[in-house]
Amino acid sequence: MLAMILRRAVTMVPVLLLVSLLVFGLMALLPGDPAVTIAGGPNASLERIESVREQLGLNDPFFVQYFRWLGEALQFNFGESLVTGKSVSAGIVTALPATLSISIGAIIFGIVIGVPVGVLSGMRAGSSLDRSLIFGAVLGIAIPNFWLAMLLVLLFGITLAWLPAVGYVQFAADPIEWLRTITMPSIALGTFIAASLARQIRGELSEVMQRSYIRTAWAKGAAPRRVVLKHAMKNAAIPAVTVLGVQLGGLLGGTVIIEQIFALPGLGTYLLGAITATDMPIIMGVTTIFVIVYMVVSLLMDVVYAILNPKVRIS
Amino acid sequence: MSNNVGTNTSAIARKELKKLESATASISPFRRALQRFARNPVAMIATGYLVLMILVAIFGPFIMPADPTAQTSIPFLPPSGEHWLGTDDLGRDTASRLIAGAIVSVRAGFQTVGLALLVAVPLGLIAGYFAGQVDNIFMRIMDAINSFPALILALVIAAVLGPGLDNAMLAIAIVLVPGIMRLVRASTLAVAQETYVEASRSIGTPIWYILFRRILPSVLSPVIVAVTLLLGIALIAEASLSFLGLGTQPPDPSWGNMLKRGYAFMLTQPFQMIPAGVAIALAVLSFNLVGDALRDALGLVEQPTRVAGKRKLGMTVVDRADRVEVADQDRADLETSNEPGVIHEPQPLLSVQNLAVEFAKNNHRLTVLSGVSFDVKEKEIMALVGESGSGKSVTSLAIMRLLPSPPARITGGRAMFEGKDLLDLDFAAMQKVRGNDISMVFQDPMSSLNPTYTIGNQLIESVRLHQAVSAKEARLRAIELLDLVRIPAAAERMNDFPHQLSGGMRQRVLIAMALVNRPKLLIADEPTTALDVTVQAQVLSLLHSLREELGMAVIFVTHDLGVVADIADRVSVMYAGQIVEQSPVHELFSEPRHPYTKKLLTAIPQSSMKGERLATIPGIVPPPGKWPTGCRFKDRCDFAVEACGTAPVQLELLSDTRTSRCIRAHELQTIEVA
Repeated sequence: MLAMILRRAVTMVPVLLLVSLLVFGLMALLPGDPAVTIAGGPNASLERIESVREQLGLNDPFFVQYFRWLGEALQFNFGESLVTGKSVSAGIVTALPATLSISIGAIIFGIVIGVPVGVLSGMRAGSSLDRSLIFGAVLGIAIPNFWLAMLLVLLFGITLAWLPAVGYVQFAADPIEWLRTITMPSIALGTFIAASLARQIRGELSEVMQRSYIRTAWAKGAAPRRVVLKHAMKNAAIPAVTVLGVQLGGLLGGTVIIEQIFALPGLGTYLLGAITATDMPIIMGVTTIFVIVYMVVSLLMDVVYAILNPKVRIS
Repeated sequence: MSNNVGTNTSAIARKELKKLESATASISPFRRALQRFARNPVAMIATGYLVLMILVAIFGPFIMPADPTAQTSIPFLPPSGEHWLGTDDLGRDTASRLIAGAIVSVRAGFQTVGLALLVAVPLGLIAGYFAGQVDNIFMRIMDAINSFPALILALVIAAVLGPGLDNAMLAIAIVLVPGIMRLVRASTLAVAQETYVEASRSIGTPIWYILFRRILPSVLSPVIVAVTLLLGIALIAEASLSFLGLGTQPPDPSWGNMLKRGYAFMLTQPFQMIPAGVAIALAVLSFNLVGDALRDALGLVEQPTRVAGKRKLGMTVVDRADRVEVADQDRADLETSNEPGVIHEPQPLLSVQNLAVEFAKNNHRLTVLSGVSFDVKEKEIMALVGESGSGKSVTSLAIMRLLPSPPARITGGRAMFEGKDLLDLDFAAMQKVRGNDISMVFQDPMSSLNPTYTIGNQLIESVRLHQAVSAKEARLRAIELLDLVRIPAAAERMNDFPHQLSGGMRQRVLIAMALVNRPKLLIADEPTTALDVTVQAQVLSLLHSLREELGMAVIFVTHDLGVVADIADRVSVMYAGQIVEQSPVHELFSEPRHPYTKKLLTAIPQSSMKGERLATIPGIVPPPGKWPTGCRFKDRCDFAVEACGTAPVQLELLSDTRTSRCIRAHELQTIEVA
């Protein structure tokens, strides 16, 4: 198992290098000259701009600049914001908790809702209960998360006023209030996960329930609960894990837009502000962090997959 | 019937068939899929909606009630005759803006997906066809692109290119490329190995021709489905980027930026965010529904068929019309047995009487078993013999109530076991019988063990389901049973997963699992069919000796009369859902009393016949629903006379120990083949 994780981690290295090159290359294409921004805008003198260029090493060849950035990035140093001059790493550390909170909240919501719905519907595939649950799941997949978020704000934030409509409270400051602020964003983000997990599990389970080893379990004298939850679910969960892994990319991307709706000070907000201001160090830093988070989560999914599937674990 | 008897074989057959279809004809399977698609009402409604949306987008400029950017009216008017959906914060007509947004969404969908296809399909074909190094390099690059969360990459690309619809679409197209390429590559990898591609290559067909004319058509189905779903994804992505201010720029309307404005006024004017949100959700929903329906129609996934009928998890539904009649019979039996002076045989362990089973299929019911009756005495091996399709597996599964409902339903008869009718039991009572008093060993040892648990886990589970023993005791019992079925180093094997064992070993494990609670009756459904001949012999002799050691009765289901001669005490021959002959084993072989049995006997391969042509029975067992009136075997029978076709033939008692369902049973030995 450990060997498998190591092997996967090693294959991540070249991909991560390629990603960093891609990010850096994209930044080189960005319109506008960072030196001009730092020197004080379009009215700065040419000498001033030139000295900034020299100072930042912007006159060096592309690859020299790339490796300098990479060397710093490996030490979790992404430079300073062109606009505010503050450390990008510090900015990331400040913004990360909000994003992680709603991402993890969304995954939990997705699993807690999606798995039981998928199981109920898959063990009685074709019944009317199955059909109504799956109709709900199809709706859940089609509704865009940002519109769902807006509807939630309207209903629970404004009309019923059960939860704060917008804003974020840190966990350390007030755990209860933190939970209340991340509830709606987590549901908005997690609905898609719940719906697609439910569909996936339903499809797999209804197929697994027809396999010979399930008949063996019935023939042993096992009760429905045991047959479904022990014998069928473990097999049905294997492909569902893969689906969950793929959807986490969509989840992380979705945080950007959800953070805007709920006015959360997360990575997405940080990134979007930087894009508007063409603040390259922030864009590069945040993008890299997003990629790393995504890769680590994918690795975790592979581990779960291996735990569930003995054929992978043993070979 | 085939769906529970040979799930795996039929799945393989289906796959083979599909391969053949895609290789030989490119039009007819698609036409068939289209017909299937057209029969799906939900898909047709969704398609209708999409067609409408596309038409609105095409003719939008002509049908808009007002200029979508003209600030001509009062802000926030409610829907009215003049403004169907009211006006927005700047007094612009919402309906017109929604139509203009449809133009953007449809364009965004088709242009981005089209662009992505243009790049991804050739790349995928090349990667899949050449495989090796080329494939490796392509896939690494795609991995790198794929390791960005999609929307983040689109955001960054849109930032580099600058805000605007065209740039947003380009960004989304780039994000879509890896997914499509991966899909095309995977299908191509599989197809490139096919013989017809190899044949093309060997006669010097140009590569581009092979790629686009030979391979592309056969990888098209999954791509079509993916494209439908991607259209929805592209539409959402455009709306997201516009919502974030990086897509369509105001004052031009798009559904995304309409939502953004609507959100700003949510507190006072909540209706503002409804039209565009509904429009996006409906469009995406329709794309998804069409995509799913296409996937089903093209047969890319196996959908559980919707069958009518009573539903029960893990147990066959019993729905007997002859219930009362049986009860009367019961009393009659009781009365006769009280008569003095009559010598009774000891009660059989299992007595199946008039068992009838139906399967629901496409809204009508098929009788698959009718009037099946037989006894199994204690410690007896009773063989249930017949060709595939004769109903022998259905019979054995029906006794255990293991046929899935729907489609199966037991419509008549009784299965008396130790004084109680198994067909009367509820789930809890049946659960106590299964794996305890009656156990079952199945045909396919490869798929009958759960692949995700160790065999130790599965054996111990069997013990503890029926015996209140500690885990440790159960483990010892399990090891003892593995020893009993002659598995070497039993204790070590406990930690193995099924895939680590050979087929013969797995069948032994299954037998051990069935015997672990010392059942009184073992039902072995073709336990040796999937095994090779030497292993087959080992398993047979094992079963034979275990019967002696444990003193249990066995119902041995098989199509192989050679095996029957080795193992059985008594034989029941089945044909087309009926029992046609019952006899002690020696008499059956020396003097068959039914033409079908006679035929079966001549079809046994014998070493003495080396060089001779193997005898076969021409024709096949008529499937349920196609049974002839009168004798069901008459169309394949050498002895058939006119009377055979007139009325159903009854099972007739020939002697104390023999029965036959043939009107010529008595003359069978004296007449020559007509």
